Amino acid sequence: MSTKSSVLSRHLPSPDLQSEKIFRQMVESVQDYGIFMLDPEGYIATWNIGAERMKLYTPKEIIGQHFSVFYPPDDIASRKPWRELEAASADGRFEDEGWRLRKNGTRFWANVVITRVNDENGKLLGFGKITRDITDRRQAELRYRLLVEGVTDYAIYSLDPNGNITSWNSGVERIKGYKAEEILGKHFSMFYTPEDRVAGLPNTVLRTAEQEGHFEGEGWRMRKNGERFWCSIVVTPVHDEEGTLTGFSKVTRDITERKFLMEQLQNHAEQLELRVAESERTNAELEAFSYSVSHDLRAPLRTIEGFATALREDYGAQLDQTATEYLGEIAAASVRMNRLVQDLLNYSRISRIEMSLQPTRISDAIRKVVGEVGRNAGKIDVALDDATSVLAHPATLGQVIYNLVSNAVKFAREDVACEVRITTSRLPDGFLRTAVRDNGIGIAPEHQERIFKVFERLHGQEEYPGTGIGLAIVKRGVERMGGRMGVDSKPGEGSEFWFDLMITDPNVEQEQESK
Amino acid sequence: VSNSTKLILFVEDDSADARLTQRALQKTENSAQVFRVENGDDAVKYLEGQAPFQNRGTHPFPYLMLLDIKLPRRSGLEVLQWVRAQEGGIALLPVVMLTSSRHQADVNKAYAYGVNSYLTKPETYSQLTEMMSALQTYWLRHNEEPIIVEPPDA
Repeated sequence: MSTKSSVLSRHLPSPDLQSEKIFRQMVESVQDYGIFMLDPEGYIATWNIGAERMKLYTPKEIIGQHFSVFYPPDDIASRKPWRELEAASADGRFEDEGWRLRKNGTRFWANVVITRVNDENGKLLGFGKITRDITDRRQAELRYRLLVEGVTDYAIYSLDPNGNITSWNSGVERIKGYKAEEILGKHFSMFYTPEDRVAGLPNTVLRTAEQEGHFEGEGWRMRKNGERFWCSIVVTPVHDEEGTLTGFSKVTRDITERKFLMEQLQNHAEQLELRVAESERTNAELEAFSYSVSHDLRAPLRTIEGFATALREDYGAQLDQTATEYLGEIAAASVRMNRLVQDLLNYSRISRIEMSLQPTRISDAIRKVVGEVGRNAGKIDVALDDATSVLAHPATLGQVIYNLVSNAVKFAREDVACEVRITTSRLPDGFLRTAVRDNGIGIAPEHQERIFKVFERLHGQEEYPGTGIGLAIVKRGVERMGGRMGVDSKPGEGSEFWFDLMITDPNVEQEQESK
Repeated sequence: VSNSTKLILFVEDDSADARLTQRALQKTENSAQVFRVENGDDAVKYLEGQAPFQNRGTHPFPYLMLLDIKLPRRSGLEVLQWVRAQEGGIALLPVVMLTSSRHQADVNKAYAYGVNSYLTKPETYSQLTEMMSALQTYWLRHNEEPIIVEPPDA
């Protein structure tokens, strides 16, 4: 050990040489702290293993050098090392945090305590210096601070125990509109509305947080420009090691937009509920209306037709031919009107009813209709795909097919025997096409759109009787089952009406699953 | 056995409709007697043998009740429920609905309450005549009717 290093050991007040030695060994072997001795001018006298690890100098290299070698050039220019020694010398102790240099020129953030060491008579012997590398801690603190300051969606600030603002982040400026220097030191009640201030809410918030360890709430606050905003706040009390309240941390979030959206959403939901209730009521009324129409409106028509028929049968002998014909007209008109009412009800029903679609075998539905219509019609041919089911509402599907097939039979040419062919075929896009082809009168291109509208008729009652609702029912029915429909036709060459419904058979599902 | 001694109790509020239906019922050979009441309450009174229908000589217990649904005061479905709820003979009476309602809910309810058949009034009068003829042939000739013993106090 060098002469200078022995200064410390020689002058340490120690009653026992043995314990002095142990103590010295302990200091020298401490690894996490740089502990060394300076002489009164600042020259290094001792060097422990911790100092060597931290600053990378061996004792041989450093002992005898001035401790200012550890300071960056700026600090040396401002004579910081010497000022620190003066301060320690005057006050007995000096503490500092700052950048220091290693032997290889790299920097570390150090916590430094310099202590004045006196001899028995109070004369300056030198300085004890303890250095700790706290670069990691500083970085963590820095990161935390950057994080807090960088948060702009939340106003994060701290208060002293009385509620005066002691720190802030950039979110405060963004949300509340105040610059940092405008709010530091001010009481946080400046953010509250006048009425809340009068009611003592700011104080209540702090006292609640203090008593319960936490306060959370929502409320109106004021921006610098007087504008109000709705915010959610969290206030947490901060205590020191002894448990004394040292202040509060406060996090404020502007949720005006969220509140506004929530209110809008609630309004919409309420309106929607009202509308649903209204439409349910309307639907129920319509249902009751059409029920009563089907009963009350049609009953007198049946009566008219009935009495016209009875009159002709019972008193036919007393009537001339014209009178008998008149009775025939009355009966025919009431039958026609009866059908019209029924068709209109069907049309409104098909537009309105809730359609629960289910897998339906279309070939069954077609054969059933062919059985009904084909009895008093010409030849109806079918080529059907029995394996395929479609998504349909069975009653509506039956009506659609019935209307198409009965039309195909009805609009026949006078001079040609009626031939109808019904086919089903899979389309590549997952639909099944049902086509009803006839050899009837056909439809001119300019009429092909009109015929799907309610009450559109191309022919007089004499030629082809009907209500003009049948195809409108077909179109609405197909659309409501998620399908599509159309017609291909030329006058004099017959028509092909087709509609496509979605295939639901298990084969398709399996194919899709295995893909 | 001739149907002329058998009686159909016909419950229908619309007098024009009733007249036409009665005419249709009588159009067929071997037609039954028809007694018409205008509402559900009267139908119940008739079946119970209450005034003014207490005389079973002139108002015999029917072989069949032909019942409309839409009736003033007590509806056809209520009359049907009442019939099936009776103890003894009245509950066994064959009941056929004849109505203009094709409402599926009505049809299902009628069967649930124990109706024997449900007919809807057809579009034309000639179809109604056909239907009424078939009705009598089936219910009064082919059908095996229950023996109805009325409660002694009736």
